[in-house]
Amino acid sequence: MAEKVKSHAPIRLAVNGQPHDLLVQPNWTLQHLLHDQLGLLGVKEFCDRGACGACSVILDGSVVLSCMVLAIQCDGRSVETVEGIAAAGHPLIESYVKYSCMQCGFCTPGFVVAAKALLDRNPDPTEREVMEGLAGNLCRCGTYPQHIKAVLEAAEILRGAAPGASGGAAEATGDTRAAREVTR
Amino acid sequence: MTDETLARILGLMDNLRADAYPLEDQRYIGKRGVRRIDGYEKASGQAVYTFDVALPGMLQMRWLASPYAHCRIVSMDTSKAAALPGVRAILRYDDPGLPEVVDLGGHIVTSEPPVPRIAYYEGQEVGAVIAADSVAVAEEAVRLIEVEWEQLPFLLDIRDAVKPDALLTKPETFPVGNVRMDQLGGRGDVEAGFLASDIVLEFTYRQHLNTWVGPERPCGVFRWNGDAPEIWIKHQRPHIIKRCISKWFDVPMSTISLHCPRQGASFGGWNATPRSNFGNYCAGVLSKRTGRPVKWTMDRRNDFCGGNMDEGFVTLKVGATRDGTILAVSGDSLLDNQEYPVFGTLNHILENTCIPNVREHSVMVEVNKVPTVPVRCEQNTNVCTLNLVCNKVAGELGLDPVEVALKNDGADGHDVTWLAERKAELGFAQRDSLRECLDKGKAAIDWDAKWHLPGTKSLDDHRMHGLGFVWTHEWEDSSGSSEMAIRLERNDGSATIFGCRADGGQNAETAYCQIAADEIGLPVEKVFYRQQEDAGFFAMTPDSSTNLSVNGFAVRNAARILKRRILEAAVAPRGVTQQGGFPPIFPDLLPEDLGIQEGYIFEKADPANRISVAEFVKRSAPSGTMVETEFPRVGAPREDYCQPLFADSFQVQDGAYASKRLRLCRQAHFVEVAVDTDTGKIDILKLVTVNDVGHVINWDGCEGQQYGGAYMAMGRGLFEEMVTDPVTGVYLNSDMLNYKIPTILDIGPIETRLVETGMGYGPYGAVGIGEDVATTAPYLIPAAVYNAIGRWIDEYPVTPSRVLRSLGKA
Repeated sequence: MAEKVKSHAPIRLAVNGQPHDLLVQPNWTLQHLLHDQLGLLGVKEFCDRGACGACSVILDGSVVLSCMVLAIQCDGRSVETVEGIAAAGHPLIESYVKYSCMQCGFCTPGFVVAAKALLDRNPDPTEREVMEGLAGNLCRCGTYPQHIKAVLEAAEILRGAAPGASGGAAEATGDTRAAREVTR
Repeated sequence: MTDETLARILGLMDNLRADAYPLEDQRYIGKRGVRRIDGYEKASGQAVYTFDVALPGMLQMRWLASPYAHCRIVSMDTSKAAALPGVRAILRYDDPGLPEVVDLGGHIVTSEPPVPRIAYYEGQEVGAVIAADSVAVAEEAVRLIEVEWEQLPFLLDIRDAVKPDALLTKPETFPVGNVRMDQLGGRGDVEAGFLASDIVLEFTYRQHLNTWVGPERPCGVFRWNGDAPEIWIKHQRPHIIKRCISKWFDVPMSTISLHCPRQGASFGGWNATPRSNFGNYCAGVLSKRTGRPVKWTMDRRNDFCGGNMDEGFVTLKVGATRDGTILAVSGDSLLDNQEYPVFGTLNHILENTCIPNVREHSVMVEVNKVPTVPVRCEQNTNVCTLNLVCNKVAGELGLDPVEVALKNDGADGHDVTWLAERKAELGFAQRDSLRECLDKGKAAIDWDAKWHLPGTKSLDDHRMHGLGFVWTHEWEDSSGSSEMAIRLERNDGSATIFGCRADGGQNAETAYCQIAADEIGLPVEKVFYRQQEDAGFFAMTPDSSTNLSVNGFAVRNAARILKRRILEAAVAPRGVTQQGGFPPIFPDLLPEDLGIQEGYIFEKADPANRISVAEFVKRSAPSGTMVETEFPRVGAPREDYCQPLFADSFQVQDGAYASKRLRLCRQAHFVEVAVDTDTGKIDILKLVTVNDVGHVINWDGCEGQQYGGAYMAMGRGLFEEMVTDPVTGVYLNSDMLNYKIPTILDIGPIETRLVETGMGYGPYGAVGIGEDVATTAPYLIPAAVYNAIGRWIDEYPVTPSRVLRSLGKA
């Protein structure tokens, strides 16, 4: 469209493991780039002001609010979204479904991202550590208590400690996806 | 459909008695662990909301918001905005192509300027609407609009607005005064009641404004396909929007395509206001003019455009005997800006207790603040007054508030013995719902061991310990109707439920699948609810909150008709045409000789004689869905086919306010707090919610509303407040950094308990739960803080500064 284009800058960004060569405007946020330009609809915009965590993504291993990061700052970096976490078959997805961690679901992807980052750095969190790991995410429907159960169970599966878990995210994922096909 | 089936369905319309025809074999209804229908798409980020919708060539729409609490546009220059590259169209208040007034839709038919020239509160949309290539350009264009404003006098304080000489806050709508409604009601003789009382208490409480903060901001997308409109909505009333579009643009209803994707929660009331359709209307006009799709979105500040309808002052006078029997309650309320001021302030005392003498005087007043609507519910004031009355009487007399609740439980001024007789007449079981709720709740919070007299227990860290308790009845009872349909799909025999509705996330869609699965006899994973598309049926939507009892019956009715049709088809000749027909699948049997279970049609007397539903409906054929063979060989027998199997039905429920239905199911909630008397901080140590839902259909849904409601309630009770500058009328915290909602760390553990007395008026004895906890539990906070520090705080939310003020420390 004929929006006044300042100037586009080239960036190379790995998105969920896939390299992307992109031209971005200097005023684009990372959230805008991912959601509006790349169609990653799980990168949600809730508060619009860096206050809610719904747009959380993992940038080079750390959770960031993508509405507070300029896309142009992300050259040469690697970003992981909820879509990537789901595609990789992370057990968090199934545990979130099992424990009904969503109501309206608008904030849910941000929680999954924050939880995934937590488990990446702390595979065996306590209940309190889970709560602190998710404290930057707001859920207006009030689903909070379920997230704790889901994250702790996903952690168990990742550690191979849960009943039926046979070690490793990928293997556990195969099981849970098969279960999904059968039950819904 | 047989006459008997129809008679049963019609006999249960309006939900005035117990369900006379429950299903005995419930495999999915009430079963734990039924996978939610929307779970994977929401957890994986693949759920699509209206906010996500993007169409080729789509424009973005924003508008001017009033900077003043009351103002009028004298003149407006939009030339600089129009000249900004990327601006495609501007709608002005004086646009000659706009009607002077329009019915934007809402609870009632209205007539108002689509783009107003006068604003009555700060932040109101006014003057101009702009469509541009991007949000950034639209916002920049709005900033370039030059307006000569006439600032008009305004009032913010409701007490000023009711003075005889008060200036008019909305003179165009209320030309003779600021009182919108003055309502007097009650029963008995309160003065006689006070005279007979041992104690008489008088107090006034003040409730400040809180609001919804829906995660997905209000938005919509409008596109014209020739003369046919297409719309994606974030709104709880899709049927109203369709009606409005037809009227706005004079197009047949049948040409309108409406999509209602996943909804990022909006908690009700705003959707009942005409202004909720302002964006849809303007987007429709601008899309028509530009020939391009138009998306409107609110920014977060725009979304603070209304609040809960309990803001104001209520003065209560209560008389009771020393044993806690309440003899009289008189209430005078002054509440502001209620869009629909019909819900009273003492209704729960009137409907839910045996208190013989009640006087209610409710005055609804207009001030220059945002409109107030039911945010999740309209019963806040009614619940607050019931619980303050009971808790303050208990406090004054040194009684356990639980015992005071039990002593005054009843209905319409009668005691529980009278209520038990009515339960029997209506076909319900003889259960004491309040006692059952109390038994579970008290045990969960260890009430008997922990309750103490007010201000008498300090913790090891010197914080004061308090317990709080609130109660009331369920109220899933307003007006509602639902049209729903179920189609049996070919190829796999799965069933699709149709009934367009907004998915607010309560997991209701899964509950309706459970009902259909059990009623038809299909595995639940073979039943899907397609709520997002308008297929000509509109279910009751999450608004007016009569969903389960209305939709539950509608889907059950449709399922029962469909099952009957399947069984009739199973014993009838198949594929009958001019060429003849084929023998029945089950020859020489009657429909009642057959059953359906787990996706198989079977003979009851010989269950091995069965056929799967998938096989029965057959697979789609090359040139049509029914006939298998496209080019039959000459002389070869044509194969049979299965007729389409589809059923629709409906349910209606007239509003049950004004004692149309006795309230039978109760709820009770408990909290344990610690209050720091140096800082005023209140910590929630534990919260227990107990709801009698009659009969659980979907456990995740019920428990989700319990803990979800508890979080919203604690936000309301502790810190949620829209703050207005008293000098300018400007809202000071209309963003999520400064308007706080609870985080995962703000509240201690929540325990949920469900009671199933079967005394709901919905299908299988169920009632809904969505509004209950968020509306009732906020008043745990004043009760628990009183128990902790021995002082009542009568200004809500109970913030730390208000705690300190009550202690004389601020």
